[in-house]
Amino acid sequence: MKAYLLKRILLLIPLLLGITLTTFSLLKRLPGDPATGLVGERASPEIIAEIRKQIGADKGFIAQYKGYLTLMMRGDFGRSYYTNRDVLKDIRIKLPNTMKLAFSAMLIAVPVGITIGFIAGYRRDKLISGFITAISIAGLSIPVFWSAIIIMLLFSLTFNLFPPSGTGGFQFIVLPALVLSIPAASTLARVTMTSVADVMTMPYVNTARAKGLSPIKITAVHILRNAIIPIVTIIGLDFGSYLNGAVVTETIFGWDGIGRFTMEGIMKRDYPVILGCIVVSTLIFVFVNLMTDIVYQYLNPGIRLHDKKR
Amino acid sequence: MQVRGGILGYLLISTLFLASCSSTNRLPGYVYFRLSSNPTTLDPALITDVPSATIAAKIFNGLVRLKDGFEIGPDICERWELSKDGQVYKFFLRRGVNFSGGREVTAWDVRYSFQRILDPKVKSPNAWIFEKVEGADEFRAGHAAEVKGFKVVDTFTFAIRLKRPFAPFLSMLTMTQAYVVPKEEVERWGVDFSSHPSGTGPFKLKEWLPNREVRLDRREDYFDTTARVSGIIYKIIPEDLTAITEFELGNIDVISLPASAYSKFRKSKKWGGHIVSIQGLNTYYLGMNSSRPPFDNILMRRAVSYAIDRKRILETFYESRGMLASGPVPDVIRKWDIKEKGSGPPEFKPALAREILDTLGMVGIKVTMYVTAEQEIIDLAEIIQSYLSEVGIKVVIKQLEWSAFKEAVNKGEPDMFWLSWWADYPDPENFLFPLFHSSNLGPGGNRARYSCKEVDRLIEKGQYATDVRDRNYYYQQAEEIIVRDAPCVFFWHKTDYLVKQPWIKGYKAYSIYTMDKGTGIWL
Repeated sequence: MKAYLLKRILLLIPLLLGITLTTFSLLKRLPGDPATGLVGERASPEIIAEIRKQIGADKGFIAQYKGYLTLMMRGDFGRSYYTNRDVLKDIRIKLPNTMKLAFSAMLIAVPVGITIGFIAGYRRDKLISGFITAISIAGLSIPVFWSAIIIMLLFSLTFNLFPPSGTGGFQFIVLPALVLSIPAASTLARVTMTSVADVMTMPYVNTARAKGLSPIKITAVHILRNAIIPIVTIIGLDFGSYLNGAVVTETIFGWDGIGRFTMEGIMKRDYPVILGCIVVSTLIFVFVNLMTDIVYQYLNPGIRLHDKKR
Repeated sequence: MQVRGGILGYLLISTLFLASCSSTNRLPGYVYFRLSSNPTTLDPALITDVPSATIAAKIFNGLVRLKDGFEIGPDICERWELSKDGQVYKFFLRRGVNFSGGREVTAWDVRYSFQRILDPKVKSPNAWIFEKVEGADEFRAGHAAEVKGFKVVDTFTFAIRLKRPFAPFLSMLTMTQAYVVPKEEVERWGVDFSSHPSGTGPFKLKEWLPNREVRLDRREDYFDTTARVSGIIYKIIPEDLTAITEFELGNIDVISLPASAYSKFRKSKKWGGHIVSIQGLNTYYLGMNSSRPPFDNILMRRAVSYAIDRKRILETFYESRGMLASGPVPDVIRKWDIKEKGSGPPEFKPALAREILDTLGMVGIKVTMYVTAEQEIIDLAEIIQSYLSEVGIKVVIKQLEWSAFKEAVNKGEPDMFWLSWWADYPDPENFLFPLFHSSNLGPGGNRARYSCKEVDRLIEKGQYATDVRDRNYYYQQAEEIIVRDAPCVFFWHKTDYLVKQPWIKGYKAYSIYTMDKGTGIWL
């Protein structure tokens, strides 16, 4: 296990190098110059040149990339071109908000998705499974901005139960979390349904029934335990992507998260912000995947995380 | 057993998590506004965006300030004198004007603040404000340790000597960038002064949660009329629909009405009576790249002007939310008439446009039009495209997001582009010099790349004229030539519509953000 973890951590180095290099090259190819954005609507070419020099945009690609890597080695993501604020400090403020939102969304999506999916798979009733399939397809296909608007109009404007925007505690988190949980719950329901239905046809379930085991024990030990691997994969993927920010949801509900921060950085060509966010997002994604792998092994010791000499 | 444990664990985690969340409420005595984006910096030297400038106006003051009717009145100074040759301004500072830290403002602070804008180390994008001051160039080039033209006469008297008379100078001193800052605070915070501003204004910054809210608290020791509200809270809400919902719930006191919500509010019984409008100091225009074919030909540009029914577009698509432009200068600050003498703004005459194109052999020509990727602008571009296609000009629309759009237009890439110009200070010069003087091609503001020696000469004459009548005469001449040459089709001057809660008293909308000190409003 230790060797496996070490290997995964070591693999992070080329991964981060690759990701930053790709992002850097893409940013350089993107039309739009951060300096023209910084100077306002009325600036002389001399001022633009001065600003370019200040942000290092006048240097060559390799010198700029090298400069950025050196900074990053020191654990510094630089300062935003626009706000002059320390990017890492801002990420430290926004990341917990995004985590809160991602966690809350999963808190809703996981039990709801799994329960619905389980019922549909367990009952093996065509009507129910058809109905649940329809609902989950709808949940997946409805664009987030639309469900966000409907949910806001309903729960904020009409019933005035929750505030429509803001970053903060429980009352602020409910609506964005609800919106974000819809696609995740839908995917989970579908995957759970298929997975449970598959397991139900396995001979060991029949054996367990023949042994006279209680339905609860059959469900918990024989069905759920075996059906859970694909479910965990989906949870890991969704959670990982939510942790990288949900741009639309965060923007509509004015939630101060990492997604909105990244998007604003992209729109303004604020390179330090974009790169900082991408590095952090990569780390999060890798970490969540690692966690998922570890959970796999715990759930099914048959899965080996490390190569064994045969 | 495991299932039960899982459920228990889930409930425990949920409870712990939800318990860690707290709620917030409206602060009594505070007025709530909305900003659509996060202010970037609150350091006056570096501000280029409206949200930042709006807040800075509450925290800082300049030597002079814009009053109603765009009159220039005293602010930190109590009076000023202009020398007979129009080159030296002498400002007599008020006593007892204190920074929020408690120290009194002196002429040294004014000199420090102004010199800072010109200091290449500060890299202020706004150094152009003081480029007409004597010694500015030497100082910027590093040949002088100080700006010769900034002179501390005594503790409370400050003088500025210009290279030559420059009429809009006093107007420029009302701008955000000419606010006075305390040296010790700037030096103490360094680059972080942008998030720890302190000035002489009616409010001070209490808290700034980027992308969430900015809270300003009233200063009891403000030298002028103190604010009637305890403070101002700016909520940063990027989505219009969310902001409207917040407003309808009473969480925001005043919002600027987005186009999509205008009719709904106008027709509403509840809100119709609470709409405030203000004629903006802006000009929306379709620019044409006058430096290369096909629009280097004045006839081609005029044909485009004849081909578009601006009035109809304004009345239908734009729901009359503005005034038809007769030239680049908004009517509110224009002191003359644009006369119809063949040189006036081209009317809608599609047959004439077609005839011109026929004569030039340009029917079927293909041109590019760059627009920013906003739905309203894309819709408008399609309307323009359809009008131009009627007369035989094929328009290819290219949508770009703002930074890419700006870079392309600055470089002169498109044949046509849709843009607007908003006043920095209320002087016709602000709509003529940056937009049409040949020294400002591209990023300087002249994005239509229009170049006319006569217009250059007239604008300069206007800038240097000390008599206001002379000035208006030159500006009028310049504007008439520009309208005749049609480097742009001037569409309209947009009117801003705001809606306020019934409990808001004394609210006034302003054409320029620097005018709003936030002291008149109360709940």
